[in-house]
Amino acid sequence: MTNLTPTRNEQIEAYLAGLNEALQGMRREQREEILREIRTHILDSLPDNPQAVIEPVLRALGAPERLAEHYRTEFLLAQASHSFSPWLLLSTAWRWAHIGIRGFVVFLVAVFGYGAAVTFLISVLLKPFLPNQVGLWVGRGTLEFGTPGHRAGVHEVLGNSYIPVTMLLAFGAAVGTTHALRWLIRTRRRPAH
Amino acid sequence: MRMNANGERGQHWEAQLRKGCLEMAILSTLWNGRLYGLEILRCLADKSQLQVAEGTVYPILSRLKAEGLLQSEWVEAEAGHPRKYYWLTLSGRRRAREMAEAWNDFSASLAVLVQPVLKREIDDDQLDAD
Repeated sequence: MTNLTPTRNEQIEAYLAGLNEALQGMRREQREEILREIRTHILDSLPDNPQAVIEPVLRALGAPERLAEHYRTEFLLAQASHSFSPWLLLSTAWRWAHIGIRGFVVFLVAVFGYGAAVTFLISVLLKPFLPNQVGLWVGRGTLEFGTPGHRAGVHEVLGNSYIPVTMLLAFGAAVGTTHALRWLIRTRRRPAH
Repeated sequence: MRMNANGERGQHWEAQLRKGCLEMAILSTLWNGRLYGLEILRCLADKSQLQVAEGTVYPILSRLKAEGLLQSEWVEAEAGHPRKYYWLTLSGRRRAREMAEAWNDFSASLAVLVQPVLKREIDDDQLDAD
């Protein structure tokens, strides 16, 4: 086994404690597995010389917070690529947005798509209470869903069909966004081409 | 200034290219058998010139395992501490093959396109004049 001076041992434990702290929120077994593997990596990377410094090894791994961030992102991506949960896909896109431009674009797709679905759904819920104010309004070059900005010269065209049509649009926006996000997350892992 | 800007853009592009290939490279290192984390890193550095940040590879290995492309096992080693060995599952071998074929086709077709660029000397004066 690699000989460790007390100082080096303390440095390893301090690094692993920081990593453990940064991994809070993940399942305990996952954290323990990660810590065990990183500990092994550090021990394997240390030169046999007990006087050799440990800083380059820890520096190569990166700050514990940064390493934990990578783990969280990869775990979320693994889950999200097989998930139909809008919440999981949205939170994955949010985390991904922190580490790259493409992630930011994916997050915008998620917000716009699910935002449209929620907006359609809200207007469906409002329609029974505000039948003369909520609808699909047409006239004078405008086409507006929901409540029109100004009433002059516009008229509602869907009538009783408003609720089923808008429900369908909400469903379409949610399903379309979910499939688009799953596809974007899966294609992230392919080689650049 | 112009050459510096181009140089930075070129380095960024090259970094993105290497990053995009990382998953394929990791799967490929395991094609011939089981390896533990540090061996995978050394293999990447020695055989592919992929100087990968160590903090990037371990999370990817965890994800590939979560996706069923890799399997792993802790094995007692002479070093005195156990090591976590990875190997490809059947699904992982299939994915590695698909990626390698796609990469091969892509690089071969692009090689035809860039061949004239490699043969011709770049005229710096002409570039400055543009």
